Amino acid sequence: MNTDRKKKVLSVFIGVYRWLSMDSARRVARAVALLLLCALAITASAATRPRYGGTLRIEIHASIETADPPQLGPGMPDLAPAFSITRWEAGRRAAFAADENAPGGRPFLDAVEVELARSPRDQAIDLDVGKAEMIEIPPSEARRQPAGRRTWASRPVRVVLLDFGTRVDDPRVREALALAVDRAAIFNVLLQRQGEISGALLPQWLSGFAFVFNAASDAAKARELAAAVPAPARSFSIGVEDAALRPIAERIALNARDAGLAVSLAAQAGAADVRLIEVRIASADPPRALAAIAATLGLAAPVRTDSPDPLYNAERALLEGFRVVPLFHLADVYGVAARVKGGPGISPLGEWRLENVWLESGRP
Amino acid sequence: MTFRTRLLVVFTLTVVASVGMVEWLVTRATRKAFERLESQRADFLVAQFQREFDRRGQEIVRAVRDIALSDAAVNVAIASDTSADYNEASAMARAHGLGLLELVSGDGAIVSSAEWPVRFGYVEDWLTAPAGWKPGVAFLRREELPDGFTLALMAVETVNAGGRQLYVAGGQQLDRDFLSTLVLPTGMRVLLYRNLEPQFAPHLLAGTSDAAADAPEFQPLIERVIRERRPRVATLGSGAAAETVHALPLTGIEDNLLAVLLISSSRRELVELENSLGRNGAWVAAGAILTGMLMAAWATARVTRPVRRLAESAGQVAAGNWDATVEVTSRDEVGQLAQAFNRMTHELVEQRQRLVQTERVAAWRELARRLAHELKNPLFPLQITVENMQRARESHPAEFDEVFREGSRTLLAELANLKQIIARFSDFAKMPAPEMQPVNLNALAAETMKLFEAQFTQAHVTARADLAPDLPTVAADPEQIARALRNLVLNAIDAMPDGGALTVRTMPQGSGARLEISDSGKGLSQEECERLFTPYYTTKTHGTGLGLAIVQSVVSDHHGRVSVESQPGKGTTFRIDLG
Repeated sequence: MNTDRKKKVLSVFIGVYRWLSMDSARRVARAVALLLLCALAITASAATRPRYGGTLRIEIHASIETADPPQLGPGMPDLAPAFSITRWEAGRRAAFAADENAPGGRPFLDAVEVELARSPRDQAIDLDVGKAEMIEIPPSEARRQPAGRRTWASRPVRVVLLDFGTRVDDPRVREALALAVDRAAIFNVLLQRQGEISGALLPQWLSGFAFVFNAASDAAKARELAAAVPAPARSFSIGVEDAALRPIAERIALNARDAGLAVSLAAQAGAADVRLIEVRIASADPPRALAAIAATLGLAAPVRTDSPDPLYNAERALLEGFRVVPLFHLADVYGVAARVKGGPGISPLGEWRLENVWLESGRP
Repeated sequence: MTFRTRLLVVFTLTVVASVGMVEWLVTRATRKAFERLESQRADFLVAQFQREFDRRGQEIVRAVRDIALSDAAVNVAIASDTSADYNEASAMARAHGLGLLELVSGDGAIVSSAEWPVRFGYVEDWLTAPAGWKPGVAFLRREELPDGFTLALMAVETVNAGGRQLYVAGGQQLDRDFLSTLVLPTGMRVLLYRNLEPQFAPHLLAGTSDAAADAPEFQPLIERVIRERRPRVATLGSGAAAETVHALPLTGIEDNLLAVLLISSSRRELVELENSLGRNGAWVAAGAILTGMLMAAWATARVTRPVRRLAESAGQVAAGNWDATVEVTSRDEVGQLAQAFNRMTHELVEQRQRLVQTERVAAWRELARRLAHELKNPLFPLQITVENMQRARESHPAEFDEVFREGSRTLLAELANLKQIIARFSDFAKMPAPEMQPVNLNALAAETMKLFEAQFTQAHVTARADLAPDLPTVAADPEQIARALRNLVLNAIDAMPDGGALTVRTMPQGSGARLEISDSGKGLSQEECERLFTPYYTTKTHGTGLGLAIVQSVVSDHHGRVSVESQPGKGTTFRIDLG
């Protein structure tokens, strides 16, 4: 029993004692007053009692400019079938309403509103001032969250990797860049130790053998490899579409320069010689996840297997030649307002699971 | 060129030279004054730049110090894990108005960099190296940015807290924005070449305008200052676009030359001033020259008028007007010259009168002598004949008739001779005025040659006519010219008593004609040639001495010229030139 409750019990006993020691008139008056107080207390309790329903406001950084709302991938597509879309403004917002006939029953929330293209800073402000209930938290901001803020985090489900285009056709250049990247510095500072350093496509929690793939930098060997390559081949561009990854790309360019490679940031990511991208783990089944990653990156489809060794070999085969260089595995992290109840609202793969989430209403 | 023209030219040249000299002196003085002013302005701008440089340096020092004293910097300094602070520098730099800021740990590793955030962990050796920089003092430094190097005005402070040290290195780029804060006088501009690359690069030249376009113009000067590490002044461009550029080297804390400050002053004002002076000077010069020429013309006219009159009078004298005098209008040298001229002409007139008198007397004497001589010769036979006739009547009456007849013939012959002598003198005295008409000298010469054919044969003279076919006709009296020609032919025959060759030659002479009569006789001496045309002078034992005088008289009446050329033993040639 906490201190507040002890004080309340003690005050009740004191009140009863005083009431017994009074005369009848005063006793009646006191009884009436007590009845009134009880009525008030009951009313107040009803006002603060959890109330199902409400609209959950979510803000995300992505700006989805498609004419129709996305049907695949994490986030909004995960709202179906519990919610159905009621409004779609490409690049701005989407509104979903609870489906009364959902297979699992009607969700607690009445509606979900999603604001698109909100910067991390604006999202943080909106969460603080109560204009949003659920926001994305980038890795760089994960350690800056106010004390007591609730977060929902997935498993590391996004693999950050370098995807070389065909112009960088010398494997020595690709290996030099792979060895030049100081993953530890990026992980410690830019990612604020969120996620995992990795040299593998599948995360450790999914495959169990990710640690086997080398993720350590070797500047000396990188320089040696780069020096053996003709100067024109040492110069290429790196592109990044996601602004959140841009500092990582800049750091990679800096590391590359130390290795003797001239890497510049391309203005148009699509035209770059190498891209820094995120690929999401689409399945909790390792072979499926690996196949999906290979398909996303345009790599040869790995052999279908359920045992670890062939899967390891398949992944190693994908990474052979450094066409793809995995760097990190990152989790999806969301900041959640205190009045959001239930949950967690995301799955280990980062899917939105908002059927069992409700809002605690502060209104009477 | 006349004396007056020469004088006028000299005066004009003097005026032009004087005006040109004044113009040059004014332009030179103006240019010197402008250059002095421009130098003062450049010095002022250099001082202003230095003040602005110092002020900015102090601002940067103050900002860096404020950051170093801030709680945020202390927190970074004492933090055991600075990985979360890698963005701190950006916020601090924004808050304190710095373009560049790095938080560097005690071991030199960058904790946070505002200008290059992802450079965390890299080591800044220069901060931990033994004292290149000093706290509280701003300095120039070559800073590396993601897109290359830049020149920055930097300051460094240290934070010591919790046993840890943190370097706070902040500053501002020295770029176009920095230069744009300088207040420049009209016509001046400031450029800054940032010596950040081994070779000259146009994009490193920053200015208040698009300086890169001017880079090629400044390149030699910049390279020279970098090479010599000394201030230089040069004039670049030409005409109104020219500008005087003061180039100052700027060095960093390691005494490395990091920049060249270029303070450029347009010479447009000077050029426009010079043009204005030139235009106005040209007008003034034109006016002065015109005035000078008018005054020179007036002065020369005034100076040369007596001289001109003197020359005219001299010309009149030369033309035979011996009475010409010059009006004496002054007492100067020209007046004295006029007086001398008048005295000279007066004396000449007197001398001529005396000479005429003398010659007249001499002529009369010569005439008397000639007359006496000519008349004496016939008189002597007359006297002898009469005395013979008297003697025969007294002593030999029988032979008197015979003697009388013989004597009468002699007397008649001598009387005829006397008559002929008197007729010659009469002809000379009665020379009529020529009746001019077109005369073909060739025809005249041919007729004359034909007339003397018999005499040529008798005198054993070979005559030859060399007549020019294109000889023009001349205006002359044919009778008188024929007479003169006959006299010359006779004279030539007389000059060849033993025979010889006589040539009559005609030829064009200017617009007129020349007639030459040459003989191969014994020739004449120089003295004889000079006296040949004197009346009554003759070298022959017979003759009146009037032949050549008549020739000269005829030619003179025709406004022609007769001359003689002869050498003893080589014959004589007479020439008659007729216009």
